[in-house]
Amino acid sequence: MLTLKLAFRNLFRNIRRTILTVMLISLSLAALIAVDGIMRGMLTLMVENVTSTIFGEAQIHRVGFRENMDVDIYLENSNELEQTLQQDASLESYTPRVMSGAMISSSYNVSAGLLYGVDADRERTISKLAQAVVRGEYLSGADSELLIGHTMADLLEVDLGDRIVLTLSEAGSGELAQALYRISGIVDFGMRELDDNFVFVNISSARQTLGMSDQQTHEFVLKFVNSEDAENPDLSIFQQLNDEEVEALGWLELNEQLGLIIELSSFTSLIVGLILFFLASLGVINSMFMSIYERIYEFGVIKAIGTRPAAISLLILFEALLIALISSILGIILGYLLGLYTSNYGIGMGEMEFSGIAINNNIFSEFHISQFTQFPVYVVLLTIVAAIYPARFAAKIIPSDALQRSL
Amino acid sequence: MTAVISTNEVCRYFGDEEETMVKAVDRVSIEIERGEFTAIVGPSGSGKTTLLHLIGGLDNPTSGSVELSGTNIAEMSGAILSDFRRDHIGFIFQSYNLIPVFSAEENIEYIMLLQGVEASERKRRVAEMLEQVGLEGLGSRRPNKLSGGQQQRVAIARAMVSHPEIILADEPTANLDSKTGIALLDLMKELNEKHNMTFVFSTHDDKIMTRAGRLIHMMDGEIESDEVK
Repeated sequence: MLTLKLAFRNLFRNIRRTILTVMLISLSLAALIAVDGIMRGMLTLMVENVTSTIFGEAQIHRVGFRENMDVDIYLENSNELEQTLQQDASLESYTPRVMSGAMISSSYNVSAGLLYGVDADRERTISKLAQAVVRGEYLSGADSELLIGHTMADLLEVDLGDRIVLTLSEAGSGELAQALYRISGIVDFGMRELDDNFVFVNISSARQTLGMSDQQTHEFVLKFVNSEDAENPDLSIFQQLNDEEVEALGWLELNEQLGLIIELSSFTSLIVGLILFFLASLGVINSMFMSIYERIYEFGVIKAIGTRPAAISLLILFEALLIALISSILGIILGYLLGLYTSNYGIGMGEMEFSGIAINNNIFSEFHISQFTQFPVYVVLLTIVAAIYPARFAAKIIPSDALQRSL
Repeated sequence: MTAVISTNEVCRYFGDEEETMVKAVDRVSIEIERGEFTAIVGPSGSGKTTLLHLIGGLDNPTSGSVELSGTNIAEMSGAILSDFRRDHIGFIFQSYNLIPVFSAEENIEYIMLLQGVEASERKRRVAEMLEQVGLEGLGSRRPNKLSGGQQQRVAIARAMVSHPEIILADEPTANLDSKTGIALLDLMKELNEKHNMTFVFSTHDDKIMTRAGRLIHMMDGEIESDEVK
């Protein structure tokens, strides 16, 4: 208690130095909270962009389809599969798709691309296709409707109402097939990969063109009630569906690149944290040594009158602890305010792609309980660890040396 | 009578090389009896402060022994030596050296807190010491609100409050004006006689020399003369 009282009062002996040390530590903590919040926000945005733009939270395919999108590798009896999906309470919605590589021709140009046959109504519940229509109309179910990415439309020099011919190979027979469509809508996802390459038509029309029956589907896209379920490979729907013929995978397994980015971002937060706290620790060590050298005669005196070396160490460690606690409170407040601002107003990133994943909205910082519990605990522990060296130095002061040094 | 302080051929040398070695204290043997009011005198660099530090266990001798009440403190170190100093020796320094963030009362109380004395007893002894050194009513003041003489009185109270056998004072009047210095010396002499405490000063202050019961003259680390009045 005596040591704690002495440590507390010592903080006010050189108030400017104490404030500077507190600012150094608290700003490091605030920066760490902010960086972590922004990284979390960026990941959420990237995951959202991946899962809600077009790919969905999980997909079901026949085994082998994903390797080269072979139109012959489709799911048979999709009605049976749909019954299973309908009965699963963890699913909010799902939609079937057929897809194929295609040569997309206009009167002026030609481009290779990817044809997506979608169920117009159910697609609305899964992807942002309907919201991506920037001109014209979304699919209504008519046979000849086609949505085209705006950059592909520019390449093909076409606009609303213009004709597009799709050339592709039929499923099963492998025969070349052609179909004529009219552009009903121009889409802009803000993702180059989609806007450059994709065209969307109604699923019935696509099946007809590909020579597929109503029971044959290339892909089911799923959306979960709790989106975190998609990351759990042990979920019952995955366990139930996965077998030798069928693979049902969450977005994390479908998009391994994003999984790596998430791991990398966690590592980034760790590195940023380590650098910040290494610098802050140097500041603490420096501040503590300045404080000790300033009081070296006093340490000589209190040691001379009978204070044990351990008690002197404890005094320095208590001073560090108090500085760390004050800094943590201040850092939490500053970090919270910084996070509050960036979570409300976001950080504008323009339109950028990170490892092929579009970040075309503001990044909104996200709070997490660990930012206000774990991080401050790390701050307190690291500050105390940083103070151990100065504390040991103070404990080893020889009274006669200290008394002579300052005379 | 029993010697409370006994040094036997004690040496304190600084430096390792023969040519540059400084013999701050060289083969000093003294015995000081309980209740003596002794001054170690000599010019600057004569070794009086070093000898005082050796007697107080603030420094380790190069050779020889320092016994306080029959215990060789030269063989002690760390917490054991700290506890011994706390319980047996009171220190008064030239620059008062109170803890600046503690009040006068807290400075006096500090050593008793280290000893684990009960709160009521601490309070009683602090009040008693403040009265004895003439600082009643000033106990709540911090050192920066006290004059030099008052701070040294607090230092005397701090040194005496734990009832040590020995008080070691390193030039206690050096920073005080003549009048204040004399008043403090009279106070220490009075406390010495009243409590039969052993006082050892290092000084070159004539006022102390005239009041000391014994004068040990040092020169170049050696005892030049030892005069009992």
